[in-house]
Amino acid sequence: MARRVVDIAGRDVAVIEKGDGEPLVYLHGYADVHGVAGDLLPFHNALAAGSRLIAPAHPGCSGSAELTGGHTPEDYVFHYLELFDALGLKDFNLVGHCVGGWLAAEIAVRHPEKVKRLGLIGATGLFVSGQYIGDIFMHSQPERGIDYTTLRHMLFSSSDCELAQRYYPNGRGDIDEEVRRYEMLRMGSFIGFKPPYFYNRSLVDRLHRATMPALVAWGADDHMVPLAHAQAYASGLPGAGDPLVLPGAGHAAHLEASDAAAKAFAAFLKA
Amino acid sequence: MIDPVQLYCWHFMSYPYLAPDFDETQPTGWVTVPNSLWDKERSKGLYQQYIDQLAYADELGFDGMVLNEHHQNIYGLMPSPNIIAAALTQRSSHGKIVILGNLLPLHANPLRIAEEYAMLDNMSGGRIIAGFAPGSGPETFNYDIDSASSRDKFWEAVDLIQQAWTRDGPFAYEGQHFPLRYVNPWPQPEQSPHPPIWIPGARSKDTLVQIAKNGYCYFLSSRSHGRGTAIAQERFSRTLEEYGDRYLPKRMGILMSTYVAETDERAQVEAQEGIWYFLKNCLKGHQRRVGRQLTFGPGVPYIPPGEFRTYLENTDPTTPLLGDTQDWDDLDRSGSIITGSPDTVYRKFMEIIEAAPVGHLLIQFHMGNMPDELARKSMRLFWTEVAPRLKEATGRMFNERFTAMA
Repeated sequence: MARRVVDIAGRDVAVIEKGDGEPLVYLHGYADVHGVAGDLLPFHNALAAGSRLIAPAHPGCSGSAELTGGHTPEDYVFHYLELFDALGLKDFNLVGHCVGGWLAAEIAVRHPEKVKRLGLIGATGLFVSGQYIGDIFMHSQPERGIDYTTLRHMLFSSSDCELAQRYYPNGRGDIDEEVRRYEMLRMGSFIGFKPPYFYNRSLVDRLHRATMPALVAWGADDHMVPLAHAQAYASGLPGAGDPLVLPGAGHAAHLEASDAAAKAFAAFLKA
Repeated sequence: MIDPVQLYCWHFMSYPYLAPDFDETQPTGWVTVPNSLWDKERSKGLYQQYIDQLAYADELGFDGMVLNEHHQNIYGLMPSPNIIAAALTQRSSHGKIVILGNLLPLHANPLRIAEEYAMLDNMSGGRIIAGFAPGSGPETFNYDIDSASSRDKFWEAVDLIQQAWTRDGPFAYEGQHFPLRYVNPWPQPEQSPHPPIWIPGARSKDTLVQIAKNGYCYFLSSRSHGRGTAIAQERFSRTLEEYGDRYLPKRMGILMSTYVAETDERAQVEAQEGIWYFLKNCLKGHQRRVGRQLTFGPGVPYIPPGEFRTYLENTDPTTPLLGDTQDWDDLDRSGSIITGSPDTVYRKFMEIIEAAPVGHLLIQFHMGNMPDELARKSMRLFWTEVAPRLKEATGRMFNERFTAMA
């Protein structure tokens, strides 16, 4: 595993890389590398077993500088285009979780020639009437100053599962992890705050442009992004089959059902 | 000559008709507290009562009246403080009208605030103090404000308003958030160059720097006073020096709450219900650990990550907040709500000013569901028996401490 800081016109981007082979860009979400964890997690390591995994931290997160101008999806897409240029990536596989999945879809509809395969896990980004993405901002405010039960429930299948307790414990957690959580909430607020949160009304009508093979994976118990969003992505993306619904997993399905998700993605990326 | 401490009456206009079991039955008093609890019958005349109390402060001789802006809570029923300010321009004759402040990022065009403050300044004969606040805690939820970009928007809006008051129009404003082609508001404020600008802040270095650089007045937005108030005053003083200025008491204000009666015992008996209604109901969702505090934290990420790290390193998330106060001893230690006889209140106020020589005390008299006659009695006793001594002592103290330095 290698860490490096890429300079884009004076703006730092923190990148973790691992493995050899076809390049695979991974864009993170909340309960994820850079979103709370300082390192790659088992799912990412499994991806890196067959690919050259490139996992940048979003602007403002985990060592990457915040954007200084606008914060629209367009501004973030442009940021990533600049990063791909800086890394010499002409085409690659692209996988994203949550907000990272949203950005992956935004990139894919604009530049289908760059994205060989598109993987989405619990992706935000679509407006589905009556099916609101959870209010992670409200639930990140602890009860009694220390209790993150409802936040854990939002991000995982249950608030008392081990991973949820590991990364979002009650009370003051590891300071670096709390700061990473904060940075990711701030990035999410910048790009996705518009109620009812995390969508671009225009995206759904653009999905038809992303004709590459696509895998839409979702936790059966995703309490943040309703399964209706998986259906909406799957029916909008020409290259996607039915959503892969992972039983026993919540929003962070790739953490909770790490083995099953890794296996499905390995097969998808080889096909 | 340096002015003695300026004494203002601050009214929050809380909702006073909650059922006694509110705290047991409702998880919060902020944002999502159901508005079906609003009692239309009992609320008739409520605003009139509150406006009358502020007008009474002016009649007594207070240096000013203070209003602020809140949305969707029982803590403060002033979504638009400018409406109350407009009423006060017609009901008061000499006191400043301090609006602390309008929440600028809530407005699509901050020019509207430049215009309304200018109207109020003319309507009041130049008595407006123009407060501006970012509105990025509970407003994240009750007004859908993106807290992460709110600070940036806020400072741009302040700059725009100040330019609108000082530059000859029409001019173009090249803002990132509020780009405008023709800035040319009529009317202009009566005061020259413009009404004093006050900015509330906690202890964020960035906020202090902006206040110091631009000649604004710093209002410490904390309800508790002790060592923290003195630290904030020292930090502000150092920041002013870094920018070639020096601290004078008139540059800083704090919020106090008080109840004054003939004796300490009587003050407690009379204020008991209003104070505990205020602590348990009005502060639920704001300054209580019970439930979800919506004014600060990771879900309302308005401060830069570096400042959040400092906050994490220096705080304990289990430390009780003001609303967690269990009894009078607890309350006494918080230095937040000072009750007692005129002697006691004078002594405790002076302790705070001696430790942190601030020139403006913005004082809350009405708390929670306090009856009208008690709020008025406390204001009257304060003004007649505490204020003259505070004025005299602080006039002397400020002149000794700050004239000698000049």
